Amino acid sequence: MIRFNVLLCCIVVMVLSSCREEFDPPIKSSADNFLVVEGVLNVAGPTTIRITRSFRLEDSARLRGERNAKVSVEGKDNTAQLLSMTGDGYYTTPGLNLVLNNEYRLRIQTSNGKEYLSDYVVARQTPPIDSIGWDKNEDGVQIYVNTSDPANNTRYYKWDFDETWEINSYYQSLYKYQNGVVSPRTAAEDVYICWKNAVNTSIKIGTSTRLQSDVISKAPLVFTLNGNDKFSVRYSIMVRQYALDKKAYEFYELMKTNTESLGTIFDPQPTEITGNIHCVTDITEPVIGYITASTISEKRIFITRSQLQGWDFNQYCESVLVANHPDSIELYFANGGLEPYGSDELPIGIITGYFSSFPPCVDCVKRGGTTVRPPFW
Amino acid sequence: MKKAFSLFIVIIVLLNNNLLAQDAGGIKISGSFEKVSLVNFFQQLATQCSCIFLYDEKQLDSITVSLVVQNEALQDVVEKALKNTDLQFSFDHQNRVFITKGIKVITKLPDGFFTTQNRKDVVEMDSLVDYGLDVKKARSITSENKLYEIGTKNNTPKDGAILTGYIRNAKTGEPLVNTSVFIDNNHYTLTDAYGYYSLTVPPGQHSLNILALGMKDTRLQVAVYSDGKLDIDVLEQVTTLKEVIVSSRKTINVNRVQMGVEKLNIESIKRMPSLFGEADLLRVITSLPGIKTVGEASTGFNVRGGSADQNLILFNDATIFNPSHFFGMFSAFNPEIVKEVELYKGSIPARFGGRLASVLDISSRDGNSKNFTGSAGIGFITTRINVEGPIAKDRTSFIFGGRTTYANWLLGLLPNEYKNSRASFQDVNLGITHRFDSTNNIYFSGYLSNDRFALNSDTTYGYTNRNLTLKWKKRFNSRLSGVFIAGVDEYQYRVISDSNVVNAFKLNFDIRQLHSKVDFVYYKNQQHTFDFGVSTQLYKLNPGSFKPFSNESLVIPDVVDAEQALESGLYFTHRYTPNNQLSISTGVRYSLYNYLGKQDVNYYAPGMPHTEANLVETKSFTKGKFINNYKAPEVRFSARYAFTPSFSIKAGYNTQRQYLHMLSNTTAIAPTDIWKLSDPNIKPQMGDQISLGFYKNLKSNTIETSVEVYYKRINNYLDYKPGASLILNHDIEREVINTDGKAYGVEVLLKKPGGKLNGWISYTYSRILLQSNDPDLGVLVNNGDFYPANYDKPHDVTFTGNFRVNHRFSVSLNSTYSTGRPITYPIGRYYYAGAERVLYSDRNANRIPDYYRTDLSMNIDGNHKVNQKTHNSWTIGVYNMLGRRNPYSVYFISEGSRVKGYKLSIFGSAIPFINFNIRF
Repeated sequence: MIRFNVLLCCIVVMVLSSCREEFDPPIKSSADNFLVVEGVLNVAGPTTIRITRSFRLEDSARLRGERNAKVSVEGKDNTAQLLSMTGDGYYTTPGLNLVLNNEYRLRIQTSNGKEYLSDYVVARQTPPIDSIGWDKNEDGVQIYVNTSDPANNTRYYKWDFDETWEINSYYQSLYKYQNGVVSPRTAAEDVYICWKNAVNTSIKIGTSTRLQSDVISKAPLVFTLNGNDKFSVRYSIMVRQYALDKKAYEFYELMKTNTESLGTIFDPQPTEITGNIHCVTDITEPVIGYITASTISEKRIFITRSQLQGWDFNQYCESVLVANHPDSIELYFANGGLEPYGSDELPIGIITGYFSSFPPCVDCVKRGGTTVRPPFW
Repeated sequence: MKKAFSLFIVIIVLLNNNLLAQDAGGIKISGSFEKVSLVNFFQQLATQCSCIFLYDEKQLDSITVSLVVQNEALQDVVEKALKNTDLQFSFDHQNRVFITKGIKVITKLPDGFFTTQNRKDVVEMDSLVDYGLDVKKARSITSENKLYEIGTKNNTPKDGAILTGYIRNAKTGEPLVNTSVFIDNNHYTLTDAYGYYSLTVPPGQHSLNILALGMKDTRLQVAVYSDGKLDIDVLEQVTTLKEVIVSSRKTINVNRVQMGVEKLNIESIKRMPSLFGEADLLRVITSLPGIKTVGEASTGFNVRGGSADQNLILFNDATIFNPSHFFGMFSAFNPEIVKEVELYKGSIPARFGGRLASVLDISSRDGNSKNFTGSAGIGFITTRINVEGPIAKDRTSFIFGGRTTYANWLLGLLPNEYKNSRASFQDVNLGITHRFDSTNNIYFSGYLSNDRFALNSDTTYGYTNRNLTLKWKKRFNSRLSGVFIAGVDEYQYRVISDSNVVNAFKLNFDIRQLHSKVDFVYYKNQQHTFDFGVSTQLYKLNPGSFKPFSNESLVIPDVVDAEQALESGLYFTHRYTPNNQLSISTGVRYSLYNYLGKQDVNYYAPGMPHTEANLVETKSFTKGKFINNYKAPEVRFSARYAFTPSFSIKAGYNTQRQYLHMLSNTTAIAPTDIWKLSDPNIKPQMGDQISLGFYKNLKSNTIETSVEVYYKRINNYLDYKPGASLILNHDIEREVINTDGKAYGVEVLLKKPGGKLNGWISYTYSRILLQSNDPDLGVLVNNGDFYPANYDKPHDVTFTGNFRVNHRFSVSLNSTYSTGRPITYPIGRYYYAGAERVLYSDRNANRIPDYYRTDLSMNIDGNHKVNQKTHNSWTIGVYNMLGRRNPYSVYFISEGSRVKGYKLSIFGSAIPFINFNIRF
């Protein structure tokens, strides 16, 4: 919470004449293929552990999940529960039914015969989220979370969130162009309403250790610049809150400084990071990740555009009338990059031309959305 | 010379006849002389004016006169006749004309001579003017034409008399530092920081030479009988069209015993091109060999592999903890006040202690003791003014300097997110000098620097240096002098955040140091000099207090216990110069450190890592109780052997200890870095260094060359554990690692100090490697192998040149290249918390790209008329002329879900500047 980020100031001076350029130094990285373990042992409810491998800096390869590992959660009370692989590196169970304040650990046996074990972690109770709020200024909207623990017991928090928002096309499209033919759209093919999704990609943590009571006030989650389509119609954010212990908090904080705020003058130097998972068969082998166990508190809020005075979202679209003639249709729709959305009809029902516009103005899928309505919408 | 002297004696005898006569100089002469010899000429004149010409016929020999005069004064006629000769003439009251070669005969006693209270002493002695020791008030000397007799004739010492005194600027009364005072190559000395000199002189008559930069070359005739005092006022060199450049330090680099000393006067600092045109002495310092800058936006510096906190920065003997302004962009020293900067990087004199790497000794000017003067300047960043003048003429003077910034306009150029940002800084200097008499001087110096900045009106940062020093310099006798110093130094910073009422806090840190010391110099004779003294300082450190900003704030007050310690030192140095070739300086400093209560101290299981788990007990100590002590002798040795007057070899060995540590996991000195005193868990840092140097001057000392090599070991250097949290940490010993280091290097310097084209080229090869081999540590950095420190930059080349086109226009060029600093590069990538992230491993295994920069500046002076009321000057230039984007750092961050590498340059383009200065 106190960020002694003096560097900001330096940035101030830097902006004057400084510049930040993309830079790819010639590095030959030696190490790869370390096990990366991420997840929270959910006291009540489904648990997902994701196991992946690190890869070389110069590798163009995407993320590789660790397959066919044997993953289990062991309690100090001699319980053991198995997780099953449900995807590329995902190991899940519908419910672990852990006992609060008992200690648990994660055991992983990989298909190459190595065994990994986490330290024992206490299953913690996460307090509920008090509220999710937002502040708007002329630059944009800041969404924040407030929480507290009346028992003054939690102190360290971590959040993640999913954002979902509705977008509407500028023109409602009644026609589609497919295989050289313009035909009316069915209701199932409607591309006027879509939803977009985003997940958080930065580490959000907070602590109240310096406060008298266990209160987190306005911990920032996500800032959206004015004009973004997130608030063009209606927006929703689902926030999940996890209680951490001190070591887990320090792990996330170090990961955050290492990978999210480096390079300016007063920023600390990057350092090695060690979690609470170790390789049993080769103690020198680094493992990345920190396993915690807690309940998960969730809260969702909705924000509609009308709540945000002066939200600057605009789409610049113009309409082109294309004559209903095969040559024109081919010229504009097959090669010209336009899509039809309406028709110009004579009173007798003859279509003389199609009103058309650029695809993002007509088809919300082209703006990265999906027409599948989220269950909570 | 002998002849002139005997003639002189005769005249004195003649003076006793107190006849009155009309002034011979007024007599009118007419006549025409065609190629007559001088002797003949004088005889002819004598008939006209009924006056007597006294001369040595041999001196006038071959000189002839061709002159036509009509009713002109005798004085003018003689003057015309002797115009192109080296003959001098003078008249006395008895119509006698004295013609002498070279030296003018004084026919009158100095004005006010007979009103002097010491008249009796003078008359008793067989001399014109006496400057014996018993004269309390040494008189100031300005005339070159007198003979000054020193001491009494009857007790002439066999091995030479000691001549002491102050050298001052006749116009301003300022003492002249580092002025050469000499008779010949064997009898040579320099004035100290107070303008005081002490020189052994064989009995007899000599010419005493005084050479000071920018001052008139002065030569006095002295007749030395025994120990005596002679204060000398030297006239300023008024620049004439045909200039003579006085080089006072021609052989200083070869002759000085110490090695690894860099000296700069403020004039050369001001000539160098600088960022935004602000003359910045710390930046100039970093262009010298062996001294490297931490980073472009920082005035922190590293000396021979030392970290930034291993430099003792003294401003008039006061310790400055944070010597920078504006996030480290500028140094906090006002160039108008600073007189001289001296950096000891090799053999540190025994009178300094408490830091490992170097001592930067900055001294300010004394105020003008004759007239009120001042200067003012306007630049891009600061406005400055300084005023100086006498409080009591020739006795008490003051100098005041102040700077303030209006740098907010810089922030106004920033994007909207910073529109509420503010930054400001000020610094103020006040110096008062008082002369009780020629043996007692008191100096007062006050310094204040203050910085405040805020971004987005959310969190305000501020830091302040405050220093007061009082010095009393006392000359006990011609051999022994002492300086008594007492003062208080204070540094504090504060962070205030008030945007969110619930979290609003203020964080304070401060360090205060009360210090006193006594330094004596005992000058036995030309061969032996002794320096000795004691010093003690009491530290009080508040490592952090964190408090709610207002009543609504829920912040729990958190105060880390204050720390106290006492550091004392006792030193003795013997400087021995058996002959011209050899000079040896042997010094010992015994330092004693006591960590004091009140304090709760954690004790850990021996040989175990400092972790909570290994905590054995926590002991409480009451106020003033000695908790633990560290003590050890430190050795300071240096020697010089001069093979020829222009070639010498020097060697040195010294050891250092440091009890005060700065804890920082950033590269630069940040305003939020904390300082920590050594305690039972944190051992003092120790270092030793051995060095060897070769010095050769070429082309009659106009070019200086030197090569120095050194090897240095550092123990208990504090590095931090991965992810250490240093602020408000009550158990900070759990976050730091004891690290050992080794540093070595070669420094080559080629310097042309004077002339139309002057400047230097330096090359440094240096390494600093650290090793974490502390058995008390859980995880070793880089598996316990040596790794380069953050500021390890092996190659460094600097060129600094100044070309004086004429007296009013000069051009300076500064160019520097260095290897990029080490950095920890990622070795792999992984996905975590929704994004691709980078994996770091070996600390500092890679380097950022090399650094290269060139700056240009032009200095334009107004006219140099001496009597003009104000003098002004302009400085125009370009910083980073080539606009090269020098990387400050390279870093990798997760953006969206990808890892991107970035290169950050702080000054990514050429930065022009202009500066205006006025002197009154």
